Amino acid sequence: MMLKLGVFELTDCGGCALNILFLYEKLFDLLEFYEIKEFHMASSFKEHDTLDVALVTGTVSTQRDLNLLHYARNHSKYLIALGTCATHGDVQASVEGKIREKLEKVYGTKANPMRALDSTPIVQHVAVDYALPGCPYDKDEIYQILMNLAKGVEPPTKDYPVCIECKLNEYECVLIKRGTPCLGPITLGGCNAVCIKSKVGCIGCRGPLPKEANPAGEFEILKELGYGEEYIRRKFKTFARGELRW
Amino acid sequence: MVSIEIDAFTRVEGNGGAEVIIENGEVKDVKVKIFEGPRFFELLTLGRYYWDVPDLEARICAICYLSHSVASVLGIERAFGVKVSKEIELLRELGLLGELLESNALHLYLLVAPDLFGYSDAIRMATKHGEIVKEGLAIKAFGNYIREIIGGREIHGINVKPGGFGRYPTVEELERMERQSEALLRLARRGVGIFAGQEALGAKPVHYIAVNGYLYGDKLIASDKDTFDYFEHIEEKALSYSFAKQSRYKGEIFMVGALPRVLLKSEMLTPMAKHLYEEYKEKLAQGYVSLNNLAQAIELVYALERTKEITRELLDKGIDGENVPIEPQEGEGIGYVEAPRGVLIHHYKIDEKGNIAYSNIITPTAFNHAIMELSLYEEAKRRYGTSDESTFLQKLEETVRAFDPCISCSVHVVRL
Repeated sequence: MMLKLGVFELTDCGGCALNILFLYEKLFDLLEFYEIKEFHMASSFKEHDTLDVALVTGTVSTQRDLNLLHYARNHSKYLIALGTCATHGDVQASVEGKIREKLEKVYGTKANPMRALDSTPIVQHVAVDYALPGCPYDKDEIYQILMNLAKGVEPPTKDYPVCIECKLNEYECVLIKRGTPCLGPITLGGCNAVCIKSKVGCIGCRGPLPKEANPAGEFEILKELGYGEEYIRRKFKTFARGELRW
Repeated sequence: MVSIEIDAFTRVEGNGGAEVIIENGEVKDVKVKIFEGPRFFELLTLGRYYWDVPDLEARICAICYLSHSVASVLGIERAFGVKVSKEIELLRELGLLGELLESNALHLYLLVAPDLFGYSDAIRMATKHGEIVKEGLAIKAFGNYIREIIGGREIHGINVKPGGFGRYPTVEELERMERQSEALLRLARRGVGIFAGQEALGAKPVHYIAVNGYLYGDKLIASDKDTFDYFEHIEEKALSYSFAKQSRYKGEIFMVGALPRVLLKSEMLTPMAKHLYEEYKEKLAQGYVSLNNLAQAIELVYALERTKEITRELLDKGIDGENVPIEPQEGEGIGYVEAPRGVLIHHYKIDEKGNIAYSNIITPTAFNHAIMELSLYEEAKRRYGTSDESTFLQKLEETVRAFDPCISCSVHVVRL
């Protein structure tokens, strides 16, 4: 039996929905198991029905986002928070200040005609069955997760830092060898250390590594390298506002 | 008074809709509502160290992240008075060409083609016209390959840096690009024939605006032959019903995008693209906004030919891989880039420590907001009462789609 899939986009850059289209031929493999009932970026087709799997991307930044999120939750058996906006809030949630002040700075008015809200990750609003971070997430990972679900297997969760994949690729450590700020030691792995491949530091786009992370240690290393406390603080909070404490 | 609502445009990037207002049996007004939430990127970058800023700005948009990275880097370099080598310039252009291939192919083959063949999406269309969808995907995948090599990732790469790159491409990667661009040319050429068949929709803009170079430059040009900085002639205003603002050029509505590019810069096109431009010159000159699709198809040919030229030049010369060292200093700079859907501006003031003190970003969809609304109005006026409701709404959606709108981009424009 075909599973019913919906893709719901709240406020974001569009990348998490787009990344599904970047699966190319693997997308057609997925379509052997899934029937797409809602995916507004890719299709004008829409069928209101109970879904087996809902993928929700983006942050809750408007009342409409919140309504759509509740709709997705109430109409799906299994809901995946897809991408760092959905799981941690990403860069747009890291903008500091109250929504009214921000609206005034950008639009020249405090008026809130369309009910803008401070951006928050969807995990703060509804229970999710699986959270896949990444800005963007690794597209092979979502492919694997959807395949697992189609076969009735609960997908595994990753729990190791970016450094593990960096070492496996035998990249030179940019933090220790070059003094480049790299958040690899405290960031959840799964990206295959793609930024260190470009010889630049990890910017933390998959959010903090749960449990074992040592942000205080990372903070001290960066301070010793000569980076200011404010600089480090903002760097830590870029993708996951308020989650790292030291 | 009654109104017809388009709840949400489909097959576009981001969330937006429209309201068609009918009074006494006539179309009175159309409002394009962008209800994607505001994202406050200008505020996000304030006070941040310049080096980290292009990576943040990339996240404004996934479809054209590299245009944002490059525009950001150009603005920063101009603020510091940094001049990069020819090699770095060519590699940036190569990245932008990859983005043009990825974005135009996505738009034409996955979002527009289903309209031409009468399907709700490319996946359903693929059952009968699989070959066309696959050809489009091949071009798109190649564009993404270039973005991955130059930008560091297909989406939101962090390899484009002030002063150069994190990692430079290898000879093998450049050779692969040269080979593939040659191989895909035939498909792109075929695509021009397919998209030339679309009917005329929407308004005819009074003005076209583009960047002075084909993909990036240091000034804007307009159809009235003026060359200028954006703040000299463009004004923005906020609206009560939309998170995106609207702009005017010398008080009048204008358009940015592929159609303005090929019309204003036809002399810069590569040989085969120029030949195709000549072939469709009269049609393009009609000026209807839906011709943007045909212009995008011609640009796929341009991008493949130009990729071949650049990779050959770099292979002949060899890659140095030298970044230009940067000393932060107080300054102001503007980066002008042609994102796939039109003029993109990143304007910064930077303090003596290298931190961003002022930031203004204007995206193509914000520039096109007014002409998009006018186009819907004119199309609605032409069709209201003469076609059934589903055709009426379908044609309005097609009109919006021709702009290849990128709604996520449009919602964080700062007041001038």
